[in-house]
Amino acid sequence: MSFEMWAEKYRPKKLDDIVDQKDIVERLKSFVKSRNVPHCIFAGPPGTGKTTAALCLARDLYGDVYREHMMELNASDERGIDVVRETVKTFARTKSIGEIPFKIMILDESDNMTSDAQQALRRTMERYTETCRFIMCANYSGKIIEPIQSRCAPFRFTFLPREEHDRYLKEIAAKEKVKLVPEGLDAIFEVCGGDLRRAINTLQSGASLGKPVDAKVVYSITGKASPADVQKMLKVAMDGDFLEARKQLRDMIQKYGVAGSDLIRQIHTEIFRGDVPEKWKIKLADIVGEVDYRLVEGADEEVQLSALLAKLVEAGNELKTEK
Amino acid sequence: MHDLYGAWTVTHKPKCLAEIVGNTEAIKQFVDWIKSWEKGVPRKRCVFLYGPPGIGKTVTTEVAANDFKMEFVEKNASDYRTEDAINHFAGLASQYGSLFGSRRIILLDELDGLTGTSDRGGVKAITDIAKTAQFPIVLIANNAYDPRFTNLRNYCLLIEFKKPGAGEVAKRLKQICEKEGIQADEDALKFIAQRSGGDVRSAVNDLQALGQGKKKLTFEDVSWLGYRDRQDTIFNVLRMIFYGKTVFSAKQAMNMSDVDPDMLFEWIYENVPAHFTDPHDLANAMDALAMADVYRGRIRRTQDWSLMRYVVDYMTGGIAMARQNTKASGWIPFKFPTRIMMLSRSRADRATRRSIGNKIKRRCHISAVRASKEVLPYLRIIFKNNVDMAARIAKWLDLDREMVEYVSGSEEKAEEIVKLMG
Repeated sequence: MSFEMWAEKYRPKKLDDIVDQKDIVERLKSFVKSRNVPHCIFAGPPGTGKTTAALCLARDLYGDVYREHMMELNASDERGIDVVRETVKTFARTKSIGEIPFKIMILDESDNMTSDAQQALRRTMERYTETCRFIMCANYSGKIIEPIQSRCAPFRFTFLPREEHDRYLKEIAAKEKVKLVPEGLDAIFEVCGGDLRRAINTLQSGASLGKPVDAKVVYSITGKASPADVQKMLKVAMDGDFLEARKQLRDMIQKYGVAGSDLIRQIHTEIFRGDVPEKWKIKLADIVGEVDYRLVEGADEEVQLSALLAKLVEAGNELKTEK
Repeated sequence: MHDLYGAWTVTHKPKCLAEIVGNTEAIKQFVDWIKSWEKGVPRKRCVFLYGPPGIGKTVTTEVAANDFKMEFVEKNASDYRTEDAINHFAGLASQYGSLFGSRRIILLDELDGLTGTSDRGGVKAITDIAKTAQFPIVLIANNAYDPRFTNLRNYCLLIEFKKPGAGEVAKRLKQICEKEGIQADEDALKFIAQRSGGDVRSAVNDLQALGQGKKKLTFEDVSWLGYRDRQDTIFNVLRMIFYGKTVFSAKQAMNMSDVDPDMLFEWIYENVPAHFTDPHDLANAMDALAMADVYRGRIRRTQDWSLMRYVVDYMTGGIAMARQNTKASGWIPFKFPTRIMMLSRSRADRATRRSIGNKIKRRCHISAVRASKEVLPYLRIIFKNNVDMAARIAKWLDLDREMVEYVSGSEEKAEEIVKLMG
């Protein structure tokens, strides 16, 4: 069956298809030529082609049967030490059949692995180097422990330059017969900031509306696609409508599944912007910190965060009476 | 057919295989096996239906016997506790032809009921029957993998019955409501279905307890399910807490009745904002609740229930003392905690979201966690606006009906999309 999500459909299949990240691609091609791959770290922001590059490398190396010689594991889903001990080790130690004596293990989102798991991985990498090479994809290489970093060749992925980004999206729009107007393209770049997966997803969901993709369409989509409108909720609370603020909070948590820890982080940023009275800022930061800690301890997200909203109602009220 | 006193689990027992909730695969396997007897004795003379209680194992056998016009012989654990007892009916049931020449099906229900060493002979005798039976034998137990059945299993075709999803159970409840002339809210039925955890029998029992004799069934009617407290008791307790003058009187409220503390917490949490309108009081009251919640968390972690007294302190006295500026003015009604409904729904939602995440992960080289955060919102937009594209994507991702319904957010859209999926 053909690919129905455009982000997959237009994912490059071979290293030659990757047009950007030229230096990286050149080095990867030289690995293919010499039929030898070191352990690698692919670091960079989301949607810049880390996983794609790893998959292309595997395909160029092994041909069409690449899936037999490669395994893809997502550390966000399986980040425990047990996975490293069992799954990774079992894969790594069995010999590959074929002219290339090693297999490739792609560890996606590997900065989400616990440090215990990373420690276990370090030994596995060393012991089974002959039979298995690791490609660690991560947003921040800093979250990968030193000993692993020192065993890997580092590759830094950067956001696509604007021209590449535009060319890519225009090509997809042309192939899918979608009318993408220049303002729409600007809006996509502004909203997605070069994250190509998000950009393509935005384009496809924009196309699903059945009209030309212009700036208005793009903004309406991203409005819906990022339900964590923390700023709005805080403002409602500051204006004194606690019930509405709590309702918005509830929707974010229960309807859209936004994690409490994500909300905390955003709230913390927002406090220091905008209309919060100066003398409340540090006080609120302290409360946010306390809530953060309580959530780690296993308290109820909505109850704790709505207590925080009640504090904002209080702060907003004080601001009003002062004026 | 209106039997006023009959149990609905009996009056609304499925009459044909199509009426049984879920387990289509298992039922098909079972029917195929019965049909195979028409061509002579099959290799496995015995089927072993196993799975959790209340999901239709026995009913499937009964209905199938009826559909195939077979004589139905049923035995319960009490009938075959010992080898002697079993041999008694073994001959009767399996070796001789039926009196009227019709075929026979023999059901041995509740095999789990065999316990202890004295029953061991019973399992052996059943195993002997399974080897030589001339008629289809059906065994039913909750757990077929009990070590006692190790040898017996070798002679049986094992068929697992699984818990049906809440959506399927709710659909069945709706059919029953239609027959009983009850107009039921979708939410109400979903709540009952979810609470039953896949046990159709208990869901039907609950429905009868709540709905019998009514014309309408709303979410408010069913939300009391499982909470033994009556509404008026709760209202009194709330009043004493919200308007208590001393910590002592507020704490007394809790002792007055045996309200479930978690349920009371939700009532307080829902109603605090309406009764504490001064921003300062509101912040303090919410603070007290947050602290009560912290102690609840500690209880959960340590399983030390003696900490409960601090939860109670905060959610009674803590709330009462938060009132400093808000005057008690007029009569403000108490509202039912909406979060209860949302919580039970969102638990199911979370499970669906996770399984959708896993489907996306298989196709899109992205973790299930990130998929549900980063890809799902876009799918929502597509599924709402473009059923053709949605159907193709749903097929590609291999989403089932429940998932399509979740992504599209409406039953009608899901209907359209599923139809297009073919």
